[in-house]
Amino acid sequence: MIRVENVRKRFSRAAAVDGVSFSAADGRVTGLLGPNGAGKTTTLRLACGLMKPDAGTITIDGADVASDPQLAQSRLGVLPDASGLYGRLTAREHIRYFGALRGLRGAELARRVEHWIAALGLATVADRRVAGFSHGERTKVALARALVHDPQNVLLDEPTNGLDVASTRAVREVVRGLRREGRCVVFSSHVMQEVSALCDRIVIIAAGRVVAEGTPGELLAATGVTSLEDAFMALVGLQ
Amino acid sequence: MSFGPVVLVALKELADAFRDRRSILTMAATALLGPLLISFVLNQRAVQKGAIERIDVPVAGAERAPELVDWLRRQDGVSIVAAPKDAEAAVRGRGMDIAVVIDDDFPADLARSRPATVRLFTDSTRAAGGPKAQRVAALVDRFGAEVAAQRLIVRGVSPEVAAPIRLEQVDVANSQQRGATLLSVVLSFLAMAIITSAMQIATDSTAGERERGSLEALLLNGTPRWQLAAGKWLAASAAGFAGMILTLATLSWVLSRLSLEQLGVRIHLGPHELFLLALAMGPLALLLPAIQTCLACFARSYKEAQSYAVVLIIPVVAAGALLTLYPIADAAWAHAVPLLAQYGAGMSILGGKPVSAAALAGAGLEAVGIAIVLVGVVARMLATERIVFGR
Repeated sequence: MIRVENVRKRFSRAAAVDGVSFSAADGRVTGLLGPNGAGKTTTLRLACGLMKPDAGTITIDGADVASDPQLAQSRLGVLPDASGLYGRLTAREHIRYFGALRGLRGAELARRVEHWIAALGLATVADRRVAGFSHGERTKVALARALVHDPQNVLLDEPTNGLDVASTRAVREVVRGLRREGRCVVFSSHVMQEVSALCDRIVIIAAGRVVAEGTPGELLAATGVTSLEDAFMALVGLQ
Repeated sequence: MSFGPVVLVALKELADAFRDRRSILTMAATALLGPLLISFVLNQRAVQKGAIERIDVPVAGAERAPELVDWLRRQDGVSIVAAPKDAEAAVRGRGMDIAVVIDDDFPADLARSRPATVRLFTDSTRAAGGPKAQRVAALVDRFGAEVAAQRLIVRGVSPEVAAPIRLEQVDVANSQQRGATLLSVVLSFLAMAIITSAMQIATDSTAGERERGSLEALLLNGTPRWQLAAGKWLAASAAGFAGMILTLATLSWVLSRLSLEQLGVRIHLGPHELFLLALAMGPLALLLPAIQTCLACFARSYKEAQSYAVVLIIPVVAAGALLTLYPIADAAWAHAVPLLAQYGAGMSILGGKPVSAAALAGAGLEAVGIAIVLVGVVARMLATERIVFGR
C-alpha cells in the first residue's frame, strides 16, 4: 500500500511536483500516466526516498519515507528511471549482489536468484557479462535485481520503454504475476496502450498535478469520449 | 550496526575492477615503471662514474706533444689511444665521446713560451661525454700548471706568487644524506603506486556509478549510505595497498641487483625494513584513496573524476621533493603532517635509523582519522540530490 499525500517538490527553475496525491492499493496495478516532463519520475523518486519532498508525506505500508527511508525501502522494490548495470558483472552476479545487500544469505538468496532468472527467462544468459546484453535483457536484469527480495510494493518507472514485443510481454507477465500475489504495483508510462493493457487504476499527471484518477471506465465516463487516448488528450489539456 | 554490506560492496567493487584489463595494466605498469626508472638512473650514474675512473683518451697529433701525452698516460686510469685524422667528425658522428687534438704549432708555441693550443672535442648533448671531458680538461690544466711552475722557478720566481688563492672544497654530506634524494624518490613512487592502483575503483565506483546509471538502484536498497561509502573506500584502499606492495617487491628486487655502495648510497632494504616500510606507508593506502573517492564524488563525469584523482600526484611528489631540499624530516611539525610523516618514517627505515613506534602509530592514526572523515563526506554526498542526480 502506497499513499502519496499532497507532495510538492521544487527544483531551482520550477515546481516539478505540485501537490500530487494518490494511493495505490495492494493487489492492484496503479498506472501513473502523463506526458514527458509531467513529474512522473520525480514522484517515483520521492516515493522511494531518493529525493526529499518540500511538503507532503509519502508512506509505504504505513512507513513514512522521509522519516524512516530504510524501513520504507525494505518494503519496496524499484526499477528506477536510470537502471544502469555493471558491465563486467554477469546477470546472476547482479541479482546476487542486490539480494545480498537486501540482507538475503545462503540457500534463501540462491533460491530467490534462481527464481527470478527463471521467471524472466534469463537462464541462457545468466552467466554472461551484461556488457553485451540487449536492451530487453538489461531491463530484465534490472527488474530481477529490484524484485529479488520479494517486496510487497513495487515501483516501475517506464519499464517497457524501448522494449521489443517479446520483452514487453515478459515484463507485463511479471507485473500480472505480482498483482496475482497481492502486491502493490505502481507503473509509470507515457504510453497509453501500456497503461490500458495493465492497470486497474490510472492516475493521470500533467504539469506536476493529478488531473484525473480512476479506472479506465471511469475516466472515459468523466470525459465523455470513447477511447482512452482521447480521454488522456482531453485530460492533460493537449486538445 | 552491521559491517556485512561494507564487505559486500568492497568485494563487488574489487571483483568488478579486477575484471577490467585497464586497471590491472595500470597497477602493473606503475609497479614496474618506478623501480625500472630508479634502476636505470642509478645504473647510468654507475656507468658514468666508472667511465670517469677509467677512460680512453683519443689523441690526434700525439707526436707533437710527447711530454703532455706521457704525463697523461701516467695518470690513474687514463690510457691514450690514437684518434682518427678528423677527430671533430668522429665526435660529431657519435663514434667517440671525446677527442683531443694537438695543434700543429704546439711544439713551436711551447718552446717560445706562448700559449700552446690543445683542442678538446665533446658533444654536450651526450651525457657520457661531459664527465670524461671534465676530467681530461682538469688533467690538461694541471699539466699546464706544472709547466708554468717550472717556468717560474727557472726565472727565479716562486710559483706561489702566481697562485694567490687556494680553494679548498669540502663535501660534508655523508653517504646516507647523499642517498636522501634516492630515498624520497623511492617513497614518492610507493605513494604514486597507491594513487594509480586505487584510481580505477575510486572513480568507477562513484562518478562512474552515476554516469552508468546504476547509482540510483544501489541507493534504493535500504543500505545505509555510510556502508556504501565505506565499502567503496575499502575496495579502493585494498587496490592501492596491493599496488604499493607490488611496487615495493619489484623495488627491493631491483635494488638488490645494483651495487649501491659503489655509488656512495647506502640503503637498507631487508625483510625487516620491507615490513616496517609497509607498516609506515600503509596508512597512506587508506588516506589517499579516501581523498580520491571524495574528489571523484564531486566530479560531474567519470573523465573529470579521473583527472581529479591524478592531481593528487602533485602533493605526493612535492612532499618528496620538500624532504630532499629541506632537512625537515626530523622536525616535530613534520611528524604531524600526513605524507611528510610517512615519508619521514620511511626515510628513517631505509636509512637504517630507528623509528619510534609511537610516532609511527600517531601518524598512522591521524591518516586513518582523516580518511574516515572523508568517507563520512562521501556518505553525505551520496545523500545529496545534487550529487546523486548530477547537476
